Amino acid sequence: MNRSSKIIRYVSRRLIQGIPIILAIVVLNFFLLNLAEGDAVDVLAGEAGSATPEYMEEMRKKFGLDKPLPVQLAVYLKNVIQLDLGYSFRHDMQVTELIIDRFWPTLILMVSTILLAVGFGVLLGLFAAINLNTWKDSMVSVFALITYATPLFWVGLMMIILFSIKNDWFPTSGMENSAMFYEGFERVKDIAHHLVLPTITLSLFYLALYTRMMRASMLEQYGQDYVITARAKGVSERRITFVHVLRNALLPVVTMAGVQVGALIGGSVIVESVFAWPGLGMLAFESLFARDLNLLLGIFLLSSALVVAVNLVVDVIYCFLDPRIEVN
Amino acid sequence: MKLTKIMKGVLAAASIAVVGSFAQAQQAGGSLVFLVQPEPPTMAGYVSTSGPIGLLGPKIYDGLVDYDNDGKMVPMLAESVDVSPDGKTITFNLRKGVTWHDGEAFTSEDVQFTIMDVLKKVHPRGPNSFKEVSSIDTPDAHTAVFNLDNPAPYMLRALSSYESPMVPKHHLEGQDVKTAKLANNPIGTGPFKFVEWKKGQYMRLDKNENYWREGRPYLDRIVGRFVPDASTRAAAMEKGEVLYAAYNAVSNVEAVRLNKEKDNIGLTTDGYSMINPMALLEFNTKEGPFTDAAVRRAISTAIDRQYMIDTIFFGYGKPATSALSSNFSATGLHAKMPNYPANGDVAAANKILDDAGYARDGNGVRMKGMFDLIPYGEDWKRGGQYIQQVLGEIGIQVELRYEDVPTWLKRVYHNYDFEMNLNYFYQLSDPVLGVHRHYGTNMIRKGTHFVNSSRYSNPELDALLSAGMTTPDATKRAGIYLDIQKILANDMPVVNLFELEFLVVYNTKLKGAYGSAMGAYASFGDAYLD
Repeated sequence: MNRSSKIIRYVSRRLIQGIPIILAIVVLNFFLLNLAEGDAVDVLAGEAGSATPEYMEEMRKKFGLDKPLPVQLAVYLKNVIQLDLGYSFRHDMQVTELIIDRFWPTLILMVSTILLAVGFGVLLGLFAAINLNTWKDSMVSVFALITYATPLFWVGLMMIILFSIKNDWFPTSGMENSAMFYEGFERVKDIAHHLVLPTITLSLFYLALYTRMMRASMLEQYGQDYVITARAKGVSERRITFVHVLRNALLPVVTMAGVQVGALIGGSVIVESVFAWPGLGMLAFESLFARDLNLLLGIFLLSSALVVAVNLVVDVIYCFLDPRIEVN
Repeated sequence: MKLTKIMKGVLAAASIAVVGSFAQAQQAGGSLVFLVQPEPPTMAGYVSTSGPIGLLGPKIYDGLVDYDNDGKMVPMLAESVDVSPDGKTITFNLRKGVTWHDGEAFTSEDVQFTIMDVLKKVHPRGPNSFKEVSSIDTPDAHTAVFNLDNPAPYMLRALSSYESPMVPKHHLEGQDVKTAKLANNPIGTGPFKFVEWKKGQYMRLDKNENYWREGRPYLDRIVGRFVPDASTRAAAMEKGEVLYAAYNAVSNVEAVRLNKEKDNIGLTTDGYSMINPMALLEFNTKEGPFTDAAVRRAISTAIDRQYMIDTIFFGYGKPATSALSSNFSATGLHAKMPNYPANGDVAAANKILDDAGYARDGNGVRMKGMFDLIPYGEDWKRGGQYIQQVLGEIGIQVELRYEDVPTWLKRVYHNYDFEMNLNYFYQLSDPVLGVHRHYGTNMIRKGTHFVNSSRYSNPELDALLSAGMTTPDATKRAGIYLDIQKILANDMPVVNLFELEFLVVYNTKLKGAYGSAMGAYASFGDAYLD
């Protein structure tokens, strides 16, 4: 069997295995979320001021919250299998619609952050490893330590003060200019302009992680036997570093990036909040406090599916980075 | 009582104001971006009185009338109001030529439907406000006659676009009002039309070119922005990305700083008199350590209200002096009561407790209790910490508890599993609308939020409350409320702390958007950019 058909078989098997995992996550989340006191009706009625008990009972009935938990779960699972994520009573909208609406901003922020963090992290780690134990190496280490240790919200606020208020370079928050409402290419430029500060803030943290990981990984590979063999053959240091060591050193970094895609969806709540970026993290955060369980379950479902998918992609990337790794 | 004359007077005054304002040459055009915090759940202001809905809804929907700073009615969809001598028939003469944003004509049928089928049924406060309305006649398209079982003077104070928005019958009839599509696609008669709602970002409203007020609105567009982080909201205000913020969207500490540092940022406490927010302590009068009125009187006596206002709320607030807000002085209902010392009197409080026989133990503690705090941010936490300290001085040791909103609501209003609760209530434009719900026996409603959670029940008070509802005569009414306040100052199921003064923070570029009685809940039809 050739390699590509092997990969296809492997991918489809993994996808089928992913389904029970995702369903298990849904069931677990369902019960965990129902442990919280109060429900969506309480919050809605609380915000509305005074509401009569009859009114609240009626709402519970309408939302299906009056049924016993196992029945609610069965109804939910039945809908999920039919790819219907249900209805958000708080927003009066389909959950799928809400999530897709907020998925694009998250995706834009996530992709740009990963590219920036992994890209610069790999470069800096490489730079530090090549200049091991020189002042350049120390500079990189100190930089990584500081960015890793600084709280995200503080970095975000400082960015706003420095680059938005003191210097009028970037907008403070939001995804686009809501006084102008640009269209077409102007809108793309506007969104990119709004994207700069949140992306830098969010990547700084991950950048530190990748830098340190890349540096350690490079150093580990330098000590391997194959490097000595290559040197003995008379391969240039440049070729050893960029062709042999770099490719091997990238494996753990790619693994890490795969794991963090899932974390980025939830982990960007702080950045989304500080920069009013309309992503999924903020939606999940708000729906928790509103006890909007349908919506929350939908977001969890999406992020678990995403983690399963990304891990699969990472496994496939392995095969290309290291031809010795085979799928079967 | 004929109110027509009053209304006509107001009309004349309004037209003079219009002439005057044209002389200043307001500029038409431009976009107003302002802060809406938090993002509203829906735009169904006829189902929910949730604060952020009030910030956007009245721009889209009109009410029958509006109110000026003295609480007098200003004509909106109703050009005049006639009240019959017995107070039981109220005729609204509606404005002609008003259309909904979809082009349909606004008629008396819309008014009838809004009151009888929407507000009276599904609005949280509507069943109270329109309790006495038994039917509405529509003799012609521009006349709506309200038939009341009993006089209801307070009803005329609940007709603003925030409290009772007029909604289109043709978009709700024959549907479940609570789930109708109108909730997310509002269609009103107001100065601005709903365009789009980007969840998590903004809501965009564009100018209604066919608005019934000639030459209004000035602005081409209003955008409400949702920014979750408080510091970022202040930064956006500082940078001029947003021009207006109310209801603590910019915290007092930032507001005072911006006002000091920037020439173009102004502050006002106007625009909250119809809302009348009151900070207070609710007590469980049925079980726990605070069932004795003497203990509650001691607590009210000990707290230094002015200190709380000065140190925690940056001086914005007024010490409470009775169960009613001093804003009710305008209608003669408010009276100053004992047991409400502005600066607190720890010695007197200790004496009350000594006299009542609560002895201190070896550690100086008379009693212990649990103290729940309203989960609406840091200011309330600090307020709780201050009260904890003061109560320590009079030998009441309390433990603070701060939970998330649903948990807290469930605890206080469903399970009655609390002893003392820091909270705030809107007293609104009349005690019947905002205060009765806290004290009446009929307002002990398990599972209903922001009502009588103390489960205080006093037949004598109940009788006075009913009398207060149906007595149109102002002097008699003042007498009734004097008795009510006396009883409450003695029994104290709720200890009022201070009248909150929310701030409006604005960029001076924006004119005409502040100074009205409804404040941020107004239509902004007169707002313009300089």
